Amino acid sequence: MNLDKVISGFFIILAMTLNFGFFYGDLDSLESHSKYELFAAIIVNLIATTLKLGDRTQMGSVLLATSLVADIQLIAAAVVWSIAYYVYVIDKEIVAIIISLSGGALLANITSVALYVGETLKSKR
Amino acid sequence: MQNNSLWIILQKMRIPFIVIIVTYTIAIVGLISINGVDANGNAYHMTIFDALYFISYTATTIGFGETPYSFTYSQRLWVTFSIYLTVIGWFYGIGTLIGLLQNKLFLSEIARVKFKRQVNHIRKKYIIVLGFNYVTNEIIKKLLNNDIQVVVIEKSEERANALILENYTPTVPVLVSDAHNANALELAGIAKSNCKAVVSLFEDGALNLRIAIVSRLLNKNIQLATKATTSSSVNNLKDVNVNVIANPFSIIANELKMAIKSPNLLKLEKWIYQIDTLDAHLEKLPVGKYIICGFGRLGRNIYQVLRHENIEFIFIEIDENQIKEIEEEELDHFMVGDADEKNILLKAGVKNATAIVAFTNNDTVNISILATAKKINENIITIAREDEMEDVSIFSNAQIDYLFMPSKILVNKITNALINPLSDIFARAIKSKDEHWASLLVKELMQRIDANPVLFELVINTAQANQICDYIEASNEIALSIFEISLHNRKLKNNVVPLLLKREGEIVVLPSLDTVLQLDDKLLLACDENAQNDIEYIAQNPYEFHYALSGEEKTLFKKGLFK
Repeated sequence: MNLDKVISGFFIILAMTLNFGFFYGDLDSLESHSKYELFAAIIVNLIATTLKLGDRTQMGSVLLATSLVADIQLIAAAVVWSIAYYVYVIDKEIVAIIISLSGGALLANITSVALYVGETLKSKR
Repeated sequence: MQNNSLWIILQKMRIPFIVIIVTYTIAIVGLISINGVDANGNAYHMTIFDALYFISYTATTIGFGETPYSFTYSQRLWVTFSIYLTVIGWFYGIGTLIGLLQNKLFLSEIARVKFKRQVNHIRKKYIIVLGFNYVTNEIIKKLLNNDIQVVVIEKSEERANALILENYTPTVPVLVSDAHNANALELAGIAKSNCKAVVSLFEDGALNLRIAIVSRLLNKNIQLATKATTSSSVNNLKDVNVNVIANPFSIIANELKMAIKSPNLLKLEKWIYQIDTLDAHLEKLPVGKYIICGFGRLGRNIYQVLRHENIEFIFIEIDENQIKEIEEEELDHFMVGDADEKNILLKAGVKNATAIVAFTNNDTVNISILATAKKINENIITIAREDEMEDVSIFSNAQIDYLFMPSKILVNKITNALINPLSDIFARAIKSKDEHWASLLVKELMQRIDANPVLFELVINTAQANQICDYIEASNEIALSIFEISLHNRKLKNNVVPLLLKREGEIVVLPSLDTVLQLDDKLLLACDENAQNDIEYIAQNPYEFHYALSGEEKTLFKKGLFK
């Protein structure tokens, strides 16, 4: 067993599950979407990204790319939410933007997990 | 995936990044979960943004104070803890990043990337020069003057910095690396199509050979120019098809022979290598008895040259082992002893010798030998060599009659062979000619052109002489004399002396003006600038060519506008 693999696998999958947890729910209201879950998803995604840094293999680069996509989308969702909350009003459009951005991040996270699992299955050790 | 430096940073920044993320998260989570009190005394929870904002300026030690409301004591307790946590995390991250930026490996990686980018941006022809010293410095200057760019690989960082201080235009990219490293050569673009040659002039013959082999393997069409000091390394280099092999010792030996036997030939050679003009002082050494001190690599080369000439000579060598290989009947040309001793010099016959040549490998000993000899025999001609081209020379102040500077010839030989291959061939072809032939040629060049004629190379192909090509392809005959015609007045002649014609491996020295031109002929012409201009016009411009051929102006309208 490789401790590095456990840690990075843990964070990559946790990033996806938290992302899903935030995304799951009513699509046009924020009541079933917790901001704390978004916060947790962003943090875990950032950690997952950091763990993928500096891996020069082809797989490592693709994993890093998917993680960066997820980060950007989730952070964009958080930024839109904060701006709307403090400066603007949260209307239906804003809600749709926040949730669809996190949906996009979810797709990226799923890709990332799929690649990660595939890579692990291929590995002989 | 070639960009190594970025990956090094990222790899090493993993832990610091995670430390920053985790400490921020702990601090933020604490802040949003602890109850606060707003201005009206109502309980409230900080939002995530509030907490992030507060932690961002606290962790970076900027410190704007407590926002949005004054903190309660439970919040302050948590903030006290968070400050230590996040500030330490932040400093650790920044510290690692700055440490990385000063990391040698990282810096050299950055330099590599920069070098690679510079090499990739070169669009013109360029040449890779290995090692930076006084000789390659001269070569680089000459190449740049001839519009050929240069890339340098130098092992020592100090000398690489010296190169940067030279401020060449255009910039000469330099890589600090071992020259025989295949990766470094690859990085210098040895496999690129516009990389024309590799110049490797190290003292170490094995290193030159190794570089030649590696370069050949990386690019089998590239030209190689190296230096060799023994005949065995010359042969080894020839085996790997090195195009230009310069041997400074044989250069000196030949120059010595020419100075004695055929000074005009030496004059021609110096003109071809652009060291002197044709009207320079004739450097003639008289025939007579020569005493040569030192029988090392240079001494052997001189021996090979002089033994076939009708010149009386004697070698003085301090080391008995050096002359073991000499056959017995030749041994009266040799003496064992310290040439710096007066008795030995007297024994060698310094009193009635014409010249003394001090070629041991120690400069001070050489000067001392010459001074001793001059004291004994006032009329003796002193000859020395100077290897290094430096600003202050001890030799020029030592009043030596004749000073050999092989480095100068080496520089010009290498650059000529790379830039003007025909003039190099010409210089080699005239070596077998005699003094009479050379003096006639010098006279002709001086009379017809001037003291420093331009050497002009012309290939009869579509790129350089499309008019001539079209004319020959239409199965017409045209002679070399077309290039002699003056475009100001067809009846007058320009100052042109054809020196060499190369046709399918056959070399004709001084081809006659009646020679019929063929496609792919390579010509070397001596002329003045005006004539060079006219020749280029005749070769490429349809109107000027027509005028030179027929003496009539070509008109467009007779034959239709576009033909």
